[in-house]
Amino acid sequence: MLAAEGTGEDAMTHPMNGAAAICGLGITAMGRVYRDAEDLAAEAVYLALEDAGLPKSELDGLLINAGVTNGVSIPLHITLGLRELNVLTFMQGYGSSAGQMIQYAAMAVANGLANYICCVFADDPLKEGVRTGDAYAGGARRNAMSGLYPVYGFMGALPMYALGARRHMDLYGTTQDQLGAVAIGQRRWAAMNPRATKREPLDLAGYHASPWVVEPFHILDCCLVSNGGVAVIVTTPERARDLRQPAVYVRGFAQAHQHDAGLAGTDALVHTPAAKAGPRALAMAGVSRNDVTQCQIYDCYTYTVIATLEDYGFCAKGEGGPFVADGKLAPGGALPTNTGGGELSSFYMWGMTPITEAVIQGRGHGGERQQSNDVILVSGNGGVLNYHSTLVLSPHAA
Amino acid sequence: MTEPTRWLPEPDDSNRPFFDGARAGVLKLQRCDDCGGWMFPVRRRCQHCGSTALQWANASGRGTVYAHGQLQREYHVRHRGALPVIMAQVDLAEGVRMNTNLVGVSPADVHVGMVVSVDFEHSESGEAIAVFRPAGTPS
Ligand SMILES: [Zn+2]
Repeated sequence: MLAAEGTGEDAMTHPMNGAAAICGLGITAMGRVYRDAEDLAAEAVYLALEDAGLPKSELDGLLINAGVTNGVSIPLHITLGLRELNVLTFMQGYGSSAGQMIQYAAMAVANGLANYICCVFADDPLKEGVRTGDAYAGGARRNAMSGLYPVYGFMGALPMYALGARRHMDLYGTTQDQLGAVAIGQRRWAAMNPRATKREPLDLAGYHASPWVVEPFHILDCCLVSNGGVAVIVTTPERARDLRQPAVYVRGFAQAHQHDAGLAGTDALVHTPAAKAGPRALAMAGVSRNDVTQCQIYDCYTYTVIATLEDYGFCAKGEGGPFVADGKLAPGGALPTNTGGGELSSFYMWGMTPITEAVIQGRGHGGERQQSNDVILVSGNGGVLNYHSTLVLSPHAA
Repeated sequence: MTEPTRWLPEPDDSNRPFFDGARAGVLKLQRCDDCGGWMFPVRRRCQHCGSTALQWANASGRGTVYAHGQLQREYHVRHRGALPVIMAQVDLAEGVRMNTNLVGVSPADVHVGMVVSVDFEHSESGEAIAVFRPAGTPS
């Protein structure tokens, strides 16, 4: 059990601190798996049930989130033959959705709305014979005004994150090598993850040789594009302890969302809502940032990791470049981060990528990449640093 | 002879004033009759006060660079032979943040906070789009 260090002696335990636990995890094959999102979602749910040792008849809640192809929704419960449910909805908060689903599921089981809620995400952007890079560029029907986006080069979220990274460089002197340190460190983790898509070694020369997309982003600053599905089952701590896997407790959580709304004067590409959600989630868990033993950070781009760690307070705003440059996040570093390789090197299942690795680590099932798991800080990020969810997970009950 | 490739779909009633303005060398944005707030791109309701009394009005065309980067891949016919395209978000004096491109400046000289003014780039098919150049430089 963790003391509430740095939060005041005998701090009141938050009623949601440890009020739910993750008992099941299902991960399909990842990458060029040419099956539709709904089928991948269904398989992930069955895998999670099997993992938990839970009969399908016990599952009484389903929260569904679809990725960029929007290929899975409410009818999934029909596909699964789940004829009676106590909780059922489709949710969308982009990259923050997965973390949000865990939060709503935790609140629901803690309050008796349902006993076992499966949170599922699936996506199938990769099509046979279509270039990976085109999967997210978007073929949206445009009018003259929205047609300006491609004219100016604003295709998808990537350019906006690149502009954010470049602003960070202009303001604080962050370097290309420092962005590269994130990609290189995560690739070293991926080498120890059998599920990771990219496991071949990467050094700084290899990073710099990677083609530009939108400077300052090389291709290797950008996440993978993956087909696949992930499902996570949330239940009460008592029920979780009766099941097959070690319980991973949901100790703290929060959300924060912000957007410049197309208006001048905010600095939304540099100051993210992680700054609000992170401290709130840690406070709910009754722990301080110094208690965090590992991070699973949403890493759609290298820059996202730097900005999020700054906003979580691991270093001051602007110092994230030097903070990551010494290999702190990599194997052997002081703050193990994205220990499965993350979205950059393992697979891209939106917010399920960091949650998947957090559950594996929380159970102590990380094998040669297992790190100290007392307090696992998990982020979800959607839009262009707009939508944020934070989870604090731990193998220790509150 | 083949027709020159259009850059954009045909404007419609919701956005025609913007593109007519661009062809005439004027940056037009929506302004709220009730609160005076500006907005972009097209809204049906004021983002500031909720009013539906929006009019197209002439903007100053002056702003500062909030963020910038260099497009290194062709995504559009306009990028052909034009890489790197300097992408930018410009904060206009009217309080609007616009996605745009910068021209008349080398990528190495672009910086956050740079003062810029609007210019217009014309396609062979007669369209015009707003771009920005360092303030005080000739088009
Ligand atoms: Zn108004």
